[in-house]
Amino acid sequence: MDSNLQNKTDNNIQDTNSKVMDRRNFGRKILAAGFLSSAVLLGQTKDARAWMDGTFSQRKDLPDAIRALKKTYSDIAPYPHKFNDALVKNRLRDIDFVVGKGLEKENVDHFVYTLGYLINKYLKKGVEMGGKDIALWGMFERTSCSYQLYEHITIQEFERSFPCPFKPMFEELKKDPGTLKIKWKDVCNKWCIPVWNGFAERAGVEIKVKTGETCKVKVL
Amino acid sequence: MKEISRRTFNKKSILLSCLAALAPASPAIAMFDKVQKDAFLAREDLSDALRSMYMTYDATYPYDHKFNETLVKDQLRNLQFSVENGINTDQIDHYIMTNEPILKRIKALVEKEGSEKALVELFDDEPCSYQLFEHIKVKTGERSFPCPYKSNLEHGKKWLKTFSIEWSDVCNKWCIPIWKRSADIIGIKIEVKTGETCSVRLQNPEEKEKS
Repeated sequence: MDSNLQNKTDNNIQDTNSKVMDRRNFGRKILAAGFLSSAVLLGQTKDARAWMDGTFSQRKDLPDAIRALKKTYSDIAPYPHKFNDALVKNRLRDIDFVVGKGLEKENVDHFVYTLGYLINKYLKKGVEMGGKDIALWGMFERTSCSYQLYEHITIQEFERSFPCPFKPMFEELKKDPGTLKIKWKDVCNKWCIPVWNGFAERAGVEIKVKTGETCKVKVL
Repeated sequence: MKEISRRTFNKKSILLSCLAALAPASPAIAMFDKVQKDAFLAREDLSDALRSMYMTYDATYPYDHKFNETLVKDQLRNLQFSVENGINTDQIDHYIMTNEPILKRIKALVEKEGSEKALVELFDDEPCSYQLFEHIKVKTGERSFPCPYKSNLEHGKKWLKTFSIEWSDVCNKWCIPIWKRSADIIGIKIEVKTGETCSVRLQNPEEKEKS
């Protein structure tokens, strides 16, 4: 291929990948992709309804959830508490523990392994049928492990971004009780990046990760 | 019926309003303060929390998702990892070490205010507890709550197929040692009962002496 044409094609691919879609188009695409992936990869209609199934108002355990939410968001000392507080603290403590033991790689492998069955069964097939964005959909907005961890997830085609939930909590815990030994970059390098790469590898896609106050995961 | 002019009406209504506002002045101010000082109402990040809650509670297949879903799975996963690697007691030691300054602060409060304060600090007012237990039943000297691990472990075994620890491991290798060791640092004696509903009860002084 002529090198100019190759460059142009590469740029076009890049443009397409990095293009911010309008909400309507994205909604359509994700709906189509979601439907396809759900229907095809999950196989059964019942499975396909697994997520956002419109039963919110029928739940009888909502008072417990609202009570926890009210208690959390009324608690502003020594810092404003959030719905992901206990989860973030638990994860930071665990990373601190395994890093101290030199077992961070094994810990990441274990985490990816425990979710591997679902990735192999659903996500991999979804990517094959519906395209690479399905991998991000499955890793982020589709799973409670992400939407209960990240305060909000910005969705762009082939890219997801979200504020790092670990940094503010890490800073609070460093101040008080001040017992964690890891650094913030350990969280990025010994947890987030290898975990996302592990999921992506299992799903059959390649990703580029940028960590910071806002993290970005882009499918290549 | 006597008609009154708009001007007179306004005058009367302003006067009445002033009187009404002045007469029960303190409750009105208290109400005003209540809104101003309510931390929950002042939060600007509630929409994120509500979004997460809606997404969680709108997911009911293959099982009802709950607000503590990911936290519980994380703790189960961490426990499985430590059990499989034979480092479970080290994990408990680490947990206690990271919490020790807080536990020592609770000890100081207990010395001033009594043993009940320990349960308040460990359960009622602790985000790691009220974000973990769906509801906490408060009785003097005792807290009880439904075990959050049992159902999640069953879901993990059934749907993820990668959880190998047993429910009894969670009780014996996580909950009981964590609570007992925390109580030791605080300087209280507790009795723990695990099951579908767990309870943590302060031992009364007689029991404490006996034990």
